[in-house]
Amino acid sequence: MKEAKIVTRDLTLHYGLKMALNSINLHIPEKEVTAFIGPSGCGKSTFLRCLNRMNDLIPSVHIKGEILIDGLDIYQKKIDVVNLRKKIGMVFQKSNPFAKSIFENVAYGPKINGISDKKKLTEIVESSLKNAAIWDEVKDRMHDSALGLSGGQQQRLCIARTLAVEPEIILMDEPASALDPISTGKIEELIFELKKKYTIVIVTHNMQQAARVSDHTAFFYLGELIEFGKTRKIFTAPDIKQTEEYITGRFG
Amino acid sequence: MERHFELELQKLNRRVIKMGNLVAFQVHNAFDALLRGDVELAEQIIENDRKVDKLDTKIDKLCQRIFALTQPVATDLRLIMSSLKMNNDLERMGDHAVTIAQKSEGVSEYRDIIDELHIDELVKMTDMIVNDVITILNTRNTAFVKDIFDLAQAIEEKAQGISAKIIEEMMHKTEVIVVATNLIVIITAIERLAGYSTNIAESIVFIVDGRIMKHKKKNFESPAGTSASVTETPAEPAPDQTGDPTSEATPSEG
Ligand SMILES: Nc1ncnc2c1ncn2[C@@H]1O[C@H](COP(=O)(O)OP(=O)(O)O)[C@@H](O)[C@H]1O
Ligand SMILES: [Mg+2]
Repeated sequence: MKEAKIVTRDLTLHYGLKMALNSINLHIPEKEVTAFIGPSGCGKSTFLRCLNRMNDLIPSVHIKGEILIDGLDIYQKKIDVVNLRKKIGMVFQKSNPFAKSIFENVAYGPKINGISDKKKLTEIVESSLKNAAIWDEVKDRMHDSALGLSGGQQQRLCIARTLAVEPEIILMDEPASALDPISTGKIEELIFELKKKYTIVIVTHNMQQAARVSDHTAFFYLGELIEFGKTRKIFTAPDIKQTEEYITGRFG
Repeated sequence: MERHFELELQKLNRRVIKMGNLVAFQVHNAFDALLRGDVELAEQIIENDRKVDKLDTKIDKLCQRIFALTQPVATDLRLIMSSLKMNNDLERMGDHAVTIAQKSEGVSEYRDIIDELHIDELVKMTDMIVNDVITILNTRNTAFVKDIFDLAQAIEEKAQGISAKIIEEMMHKTEVIVVATNLIVIITAIERLAGYSTNIAESIVFIVDGRIMKHKKKNFESPAGTSASVTETPAEPAPDQTGDPTSEATPSEG
């Protein structure tokens, strides 16, 4: 296994009194794809949101334990959350482009980060769109509204937007669950390309998708991490009976 | 859309073809060892079987992984199912090459009997069928599949003729019982090689056009206008064939 990019130690999370994550210990390897699977409500999204401190925005949340990224505890007081989020891109289930042009959607992040040189911005936008495998489809309509794109295109545009700020980690929460099979296939192929440069964590309720795209799989159940291992191992001979039952559709 | 999955299928194809070449090489050497009484070569074949087994395991694991991770359908599904079967057949063929190599020592002093029974002709036909089927495995050209079935039939008949002669010999001369038993084992292994070759040909038909040939190769028709022959039609079947229609069934030992 490659070196761990993200490590959690006894990560426990409560929403008010309700425990959503129970003492999770996980090593997420660098420049590989790690998939989180498990039935609805088992804590996958909650865990994902811990990794870029998005849960900070929810007042009732209480977190115990540690999350280390590149060896640094991201919940330390001196951590700059803005910088942290720059390092970590996030793609959601529902694509959420701004009601602006395709170009502006991708240029937005770099601009906020202080890049104003027009030529530089154009370069960033083009390479981000290329890396998100959507360039050919939009290169002649860069100034059209992003909202005119299809769902699958919007999702890849959102990935381009994420890439434009040069993150190291990309978190994806059910990125293809609202897409048709062809668009889903494109996103999956894209993930294969992206893992050469980025550490990717993907939440999916589609087990077959986890099998196809990921190198490692974590199976969550009722806020617990039941099993974590190589995807090829989990899907051919998991160690834990509950995992076997879940992936074969016997419960959940 | 370029599928990442394509690379896995290509890898599988390469491995099955490698397995085919390796096994054809083992079979060819086993025949050489038999006809020339080459004990050293026989030892080498037995040693080499480890490579066959290793590759067999590798292919099984790869198929298992592709099944589990990619949910293959249609042509992809047929390819993987068939690769698994062909791999199994090839591994068994490797075992039969070993059997022939092992028994070749026990018969090496009986050149005259081997010559008298024309075992070399049977060997030539079987070497040919194995090579032809590996060629089809490489080219996926199912035009020649009919020739494989015909050749297998001819091998079957010839082998039965030889076996019948051996048994007759045994009844008259008790001193040949040991060598005769070894020869029967060799002939049986040769028959199996032909049977597995037809299995593989059937698998290739299944990959290419989805037809299941297993229980109806008698009515097999090559695609229109492709009756070309990959091999010369072999010598006449032995005159004293047993004519048992059930014996044509392909081998199915575990
Ligand atoms: N903002 C929230 N406030 C209170 N409870 C929440 C909140 N978000 C999620 N939960 C609860 O936490 C548990 C885990 O939810 P979630 O992480 O969304 O699961 P999953 O992504 O696996 O479907 C669920 O019981 C859910 O109801
Ligand atoms: Mg969720």
